[in-house]
Amino acid sequence: MRVPLSWLRDYVDVDVDLAVLAERLTLLGMEVEAIERWGAAWRSVVVGELLTVERHPRADRLSLTTVTIGSGEPLRIVCGATNIAPGQRVPVALPGAVLPGDRRIERTEKMGIASEGMLCSGDELQLTTDADGILILPPETPLGVDLSDLYGDIVLDVDVKPNRGDALSLIGLAREVSAVTGAPVRHPTVEIVETDPGVADRLRVIVDEPGLCTRFVGRWVTGVRVGPSPDLVQMRLRAAGMRPVSNVVDASNYVMLELGKPTHAFDARAVRDGTIVVRLARHGERLETLDHVVRELDPETLIIADPTGPIGIAGVMGGAGSEVADDTTDVIVESAIFDPVSIRRTGQRYALRSEASLRFEKGQDVPAARVGADRVASLIVAWSGGSVLRGRVDTDPREPGPSRVAFRPSRIERLLGTARAADEQRALLARVGVGTEVAPAGTPVVVAIGTDPLIVEPGVDTLVASVPTWRRDIVIEADVAEEIARVGGYDTVPTRTPETLMPSFRPSPLGVRDAVREALVGAGLTEVLTHALVSPRSAADFPWPDDAEIPSGEEPSGGTVITVRNPLSQQHSVLRQHLPASLLEILAANERHGAERVAIFEAGKGYAAEGGRAREWWRLAFLLAGPADPPAWNRPARPADLDDAKAVVELVAERLGLGRVAFTADRRGNPFHPGRAARVRAVLPESGGPRAVGLVTAPGDLALSGHVAELHPAVAAAWEVRAPRVLVAELAIAGLAGGSLAAPRARALPRFQSVERDLAVVVGDGVTAAAVLATAGRAAGDLLQDLRLFDVYQGAPLAPDERSLAIHLVLQAADRTLTDAEVDGVVATVTDALAAELGGRIRT
Amino acid sequence: MDLGTMTAQLERLRSDALDAVATAADPAALDAAQLAFLGRKGAITELLRGIGRLPAEDRPRMGAVGNEVREAVEAAVSERSRDLRGAALIARLAAEAVDVTTPGRRIARGTRHPIAETIAAIDEVFGRFGFVVYEGPEVEDDVTNFQMLNIPADHPARDLWDTLYVDIPDHLLRTHTSPGQIRVMRETRPPIRALLPGRCFRYEAVDASHGFEFFQVEGLMVDEGTSLADLKGLLEEFGHALFGVGRATRFRPGYYPFTEPSVAFDVGCVVCDGSGCPACGRTGWMTILGAGMVHPVVLRNGGIDPERYQGFAFGMGVERIAMLRHGVHDLRLFMENDLRFLEQFR
Ligand SMILES: [Zn+2]
Repeated sequence: MRVPLSWLRDYVDVDVDLAVLAERLTLLGMEVEAIERWGAAWRSVVVGELLTVERHPRADRLSLTTVTIGSGEPLRIVCGATNIAPGQRVPVALPGAVLPGDRRIERTEKMGIASEGMLCSGDELQLTTDADGILILPPETPLGVDLSDLYGDIVLDVDVKPNRGDALSLIGLAREVSAVTGAPVRHPTVEIVETDPGVADRLRVIVDEPGLCTRFVGRWVTGVRVGPSPDLVQMRLRAAGMRPVSNVVDASNYVMLELGKPTHAFDARAVRDGTIVVRLARHGERLETLDHVVRELDPETLIIADPTGPIGIAGVMGGAGSEVADDTTDVIVESAIFDPVSIRRTGQRYALRSEASLRFEKGQDVPAARVGADRVASLIVAWSGGSVLRGRVDTDPREPGPSRVAFRPSRIERLLGTARAADEQRALLARVGVGTEVAPAGTPVVVAIGTDPLIVEPGVDTLVASVPTWRRDIVIEADVAEEIARVGGYDTVPTRTPETLMPSFRPSPLGVRDAVREALVGAGLTEVLTHALVSPRSAADFPWPDDAEIPSGEEPSGGTVITVRNPLSQQHSVLRQHLPASLLEILAANERHGAERVAIFEAGKGYAAEGGRAREWWRLAFLLAGPADPPAWNRPARPADLDDAKAVVELVAERLGLGRVAFTADRRGNPFHPGRAARVRAVLPESGGPRAVGLVTAPGDLALSGHVAELHPAVAAAWEVRAPRVLVAELAIAGLAGGSLAAPRARALPRFQSVERDLAVVVGDGVTAAAVLATAGRAAGDLLQDLRLFDVYQGAPLAPDERSLAIHLVLQAADRTLTDAEVDGVVATVTDALAAELGGRIRT
Repeated sequence: MDLGTMTAQLERLRSDALDAVATAADPAALDAAQLAFLGRKGAITELLRGIGRLPAEDRPRMGAVGNEVREAVEAAVSERSRDLRGAALIARLAAEAVDVTTPGRRIARGTRHPIAETIAAIDEVFGRFGFVVYEGPEVEDDVTNFQMLNIPADHPARDLWDTLYVDIPDHLLRTHTSPGQIRVMRETRPPIRALLPGRCFRYEAVDASHGFEFFQVEGLMVDEGTSLADLKGLLEEFGHALFGVGRATRFRPGYYPFTEPSVAFDVGCVVCDGSGCPACGRTGWMTILGAGMVHPVVLRNGGIDPERYQGFAFGMGVERIAMLRHGVHDLRLFMENDLRFLEQFR
């Protein structure tokens, strides 16, 4: 709400310093977001008096004037306006002046005659809407004075919260100023001289929907002469951010800003039979609104109609056909109260929200319907002549008194943590016009309203607040508490740290996610956070496989894509199901900035709909591209490959205390390189002190699953990625959705020597390393402590379809040092198993 | 051989051995010399084997002399060895000198995203006050996101949250973390001190200070005597923790349908320290979060008796906090994930 200070002063004295006022309003909850100096855009515009006005010798449309600004030689100024005459006082822009819009005025020559400045119109100064004539100032305006000193104003931009519709008005903000300064509020006086006939002879109002239009007050003004409003009115409207239209329409807008009461003025000629019907629109009805858009009305729309059809959308916008025109003589003033919900829905359905509808949506003060109608009628008469027909049409003249809200000062103190006596609380309420009295016996206290209200018996100290009709936000005891806190000042609330009971311990649901993040950051990957809303294209172009299996406690991916019904753009219109496409976009963007080594990860969610509900799941995704290590002069650059990506998976598994990660070939192709993609799985190990993660606690339970792969070059190309190889992975991890890590269990160190043996086994190239290790591991039995692949060899003297895999075994017993015979026995068992199961032979 | 002859030979060998040791030029020559005189077939060893053939009365004397010679030579060997090896070491070390001014071999290190890091910092502060973390769904229903929070359908306050709706009936992308208040109250009983971080969504055009996806942290504390004064004290501590002890803080009325009274919490401008600058709109203050006493209707919707219990809630935009803490002027940087930006947060 824009509040011109000079206008505000009509209703309350403002004697405090502006900055102080702004701060105190802010601390009262009426945040002053900006203080604007209205007229600060005029520089070197002064008041002058026209001495002579003559026709320009070479141009009929131009006048040649001499103007004095009170001192110095008279100025010769060429002017195109026709409303000027000697003796008038006018705004003069001197050479070097600046007008709104950063328009600079210089000495110029017009049709051969030099012009030493410019006479200004109201429009050029953005004071009024008149662009044709020069702004004629009152004759007593002092000569030579800077115009900004005369007409400049200060405009406060106040952020009025949605619960304070009453403060969307100058009078409402004057009340707030009064609460701060104690200065009394001056209400505008409404004086109406009425003439016959009575309004009832001309105007009939039928409300078909009394639930949606609870009150309709009508006034009739006859004999008006439509024209521009007084300059001061135009200036005020402009400063408040509204466009002046005509003296009749301006009266309605002026009262809306003044009292917060929206009204509407109809040209009475356009209202057939003087009959107004407030009803719902019918199928097929149309209306051209004031903005000259023809709108199809739907049957949920409350309209103002005459017997022939719609003439306005109630509370939102009038119809063009009944708009006040230059030749309008009779005006019907509508001052009604509409259902806030109906107005809000209508505004949203037609995407049409006006200053009026914003105020209706927040609810209206019932008596204001009468006051508003009278005030508008009186201003129309004052600004455009005519007279007001006797009486009002009023569909429901009942006006409720103040509402009564019971409260317990002691309960309010407990809520606020303050120690204010009841009398002090009452004095604070009085400052905002809320009276108080001791509650009559048995007055219950409303603690909560709504569908499940809570009303309690009064305490010994219960008081009743008498709340003015315009303060529709004070309904329950807590509202009274806020009013007391606000008027008393939040700065008077003591500051203390909580001393109440602590909740019991709860493990953080972020434990596993944080552990994984730390491990990856330590390993050189950078965390990114990308949009959950993605393009529908991204899933189609990057078909990441859904889960075949999932650690228990985690949600499997897959299901119907969730689409946003009102997206900001197609780029961000569906919720993603997988993360890697987002990482690929980040890679591409960083490559455009010249990045070479990109190692990034994200812990984020996937989303899907299923049976009218949403499912969400957490995943860890990472991407590697470019050099595996940061560039260093003392190390050759090596591009990251699948083994680097697998190592990241293994690092995560290790951090979580999981067993060996099993990789199995995934030859699906798109989006993967068909020969360089693996399914991943890891389980909780049998022993070895794992950290129990999430809900997975039994040894052998799946704890990590997903895919790690080199990206198919075609997918990389579609994303315009330059790196020759891109490694991506997405993993489901037990506990990612909300698990925490248990402390690792320590094992006693072995007391007896371990024995190491290396074996090189030659197998067909169709036999995987995983198979060799699994077979060897199984065969080695309980004595096996560690088993690692340490070399892979292909080439002479092996056959072309053979590979040699070298494995390293560590054997150990807990209770003795192994004998050579025992070790040889294990090695023999392993050798035999490799031969029997995989056709392997030992290379010596 | 008699004692005299043997003694003379031994003395000659001692002299030869000491010469050989003294003139050995390197450890290999020294080893050879040692072997030549003291080895199993060394000259001294061989000679001393002849002791057994001496008369019995001469043997002890000869044994003593033999040992004395052997020890003398051994001592010379070890002394010479120390000298020789020291010299070799010095030579090796000299040859191994490098240019120490070259940079090290870089170790890869990633960075945590500044938003995640800021959430962790917020967590840490409130964790010290006993707040525990909860999380809620991002695809919410209208009831929990709005209605349970005292924001009925068609309430004008809905203008405060421009909402993205999804194609599941009555569902939307949560516009704030506040629905978590309802979930926590239904899941647990007072005393409650809960913290709810997470991703939120709004129908909002993107600019330097707005995004359609952003992160919030919600706090909720409920107990019998939890008051506005407690909220004020706690938030002051929070302001000091994140923006420096001694940072000015300010409490002023705000508006949320789910709190009553409602609060806007400001800290002294981190750019101008309160003297007024463009960043703070010349007020000297920056609003960092909204808060208030939980509305009795909301407590009731959470299954908590508002006569017995009361509490406060607060909610903050993580991006805003991160921007102020790190001097970031454009919120879009957080979701762009330009590594040149992210790597500044090492
Ligand atoms: Zn500042």
